[in-house]
Amino acid sequence: MRDTGHKLTLKAEGLDSCSIMKPIKTPRSVDIEITNDCNLRCKYCYHFTGPGDVREDVPTGEWLSFFEELGRCAVMDVYIEGGEPFFREDLRELIDGVVKNRMRFKLLSNGTLITDEAASYIASTGRCDNVQVSIDGGSPQTHDLSRGKGSFHRAVAGINILRKHQIPVGARVTINRHNVRGLDEIAKFLLDDIGLPAFSTNSAGPMGLCRQNQEEMGLTVEDRQIAMESLLRLNKKYNGRIKAQAGPLADARQWRMMEQARREGRAQLPNCGFLSGCGGVMDKMAVRADGVMTPCTQMSHIELGRINRDDLMEVWQHHPELKRLRERAAIPLSTFEFCKGCEYMHYCTGNCPALAYATLKEDNHPSPDACLKRFLEAGGTIPE
Amino acid sequence: MLTEESKPVVNQRIVLREESDDWAILFDPDTSGTYGLNPVAVYIWKCLDGKNTIADIVRKLGKECKDMPDDAVNHVKAFVDELIEKGYAGYGT
Repeated sequence: MRDTGHKLTLKAEGLDSCSIMKPIKTPRSVDIEITNDCNLRCKYCYHFTGPGDVREDVPTGEWLSFFEELGRCAVMDVYIEGGEPFFREDLRELIDGVVKNRMRFKLLSNGTLITDEAASYIASTGRCDNVQVSIDGGSPQTHDLSRGKGSFHRAVAGINILRKHQIPVGARVTINRHNVRGLDEIAKFLLDDIGLPAFSTNSAGPMGLCRQNQEEMGLTVEDRQIAMESLLRLNKKYNGRIKAQAGPLADARQWRMMEQARREGRAQLPNCGFLSGCGGVMDKMAVRADGVMTPCTQMSHIELGRINRDDLMEVWQHHPELKRLRERAAIPLSTFEFCKGCEYMHYCTGNCPALAYATLKEDNHPSPDACLKRFLEAGGTIPE
Repeated sequence: MLTEESKPVVNQRIVLREESDDWAILFDPDTSGTYGLNPVAVYIWKCLDGKNTIADIVRKLGKECKDMPDDAVNHVKAFVDELIEKGYAGYGT
C-alpha cells in the first residue's frame, strides 16, 4: 500500500484531529462461525461448552443478507469457521455470497470432510487465501488421542485434496500434553514428508472442553518448557517455517526479548507496560453461529448485537464494550496488584484478554497463563 | 490514450474501502492487491463514473481544493492512467 504521490490538498477540516486510537470505519476482517455443529469433539476445543456453543445455526438467507452488509461496509475478508464449516450442506452457497460481495475468505477446518468436489469449487472462486487444517500429531497414535479415532488419516486426505487443487493449506498444531513430546515427529511429517511450506502452532488453553479436560490436555510448566525449547530448535532447523502468534513458540520469543530488555536495563519495550496484548478489536470482529456479533471468537460471552437487526458500522464504531476493549491499551500494568514488584512489567503486554477472562472472569487484567514471572516462580526457565 | 475529454470509469470489481481520516484503500479481491489513496485521490475515484471527463474532474477539484497547482490536470491524468494500467479503472463509452 502506498500514497498516490499526488499533492493536491482538500479543504476538508478535521484531518489533524484524529487520534491513533481511533478505530477504522468498519472492520477489515470478520471471523464467522457459520455452524455450531462438528463431526469431531476434540478434547481441547475452546468452542464446545464455551459461550460460543450456542446450539443454533443462522439459516442460509440470513448469512447471505449479512454478507451483503459486509460488502457494503467494504470488509475485505472473512474467516469461515465453526464448529466445522464443511459440516454445513450449504457451504458452497455461503461462499458464493462471500465472493459475490467482493470479499476473500479463509476456512478453518478439521480436514476430515473435505471432498474433491468441495475443493474444486473453492479453487474455482480464486478468492481463498487458505484452508487451515488442524494436525496434532505426526501419526494417528498422537493425533487421534485428542481428535478421535480415524481423524488423522481423514485430515491428511483432506490436505492432499486441497493441495491437488492448488489451494494453500495452513496446518495448525495445537500443542497439548499428548503431543508435546512428539514435536520433532510432527515437524518432520508436515515439513519433510508432506512438504508443506510452513505450519503454525498454539497451545490448548483453559477454555471450553479443555477446561474440563485440563488434567489430560493442559500443559504443565515442564511441558511448556519442553515445547518452547523444542520449537525454537526445530524452527532453526527448518529455517523459520514454524509460525506462532500464541502458545509456547510465541511465548518463548516474547520472553527472551523481555529478559534481554531486563538485562540491558531498558526503560521500556515499545507498546509494553500496558494492557496492550491484543490489537484484534482495532480491525476485526466475530459472529457466533446464532448470529450474535462478538469482539472475538474467544470472547463470545460479550454480545454486541445481532446480524441483520443491528447495524454493523454502528456496533463497530460505538458499542461501549468494543470501546472498553480498545481502551485496555491505556491501562498501565502498574495499576494491578498482580504485577506489583514484577521486574518485567515494562516489557510486558498483559497478553490475551480472552485468556485472562477464561482464568479470572475479568478481561481487563493481565493473563496469568502468559505471565513470565509466574512461569519462573513455578520453576520454568527462559530458553536460550 | 487518456485525454481531457476521456470519461474514465471505475472497475466495479474493485472495492473502495474508506478508512478514518478520509484516506482509503482500493482492494482487488481477486488478487488481494491494495492501493492507498489520499483524500484527493478518493475524491477523484468517486468522480470516475463514466460521465465526468478529466476536464470535469479538474474543474470539480478546483472548487474543493486549495492551492491547486497550474498543472493539476497532469496530476489527475497521471493518477487515472495509473489506475487504468492496474486494471482498477477503464475508459467509459
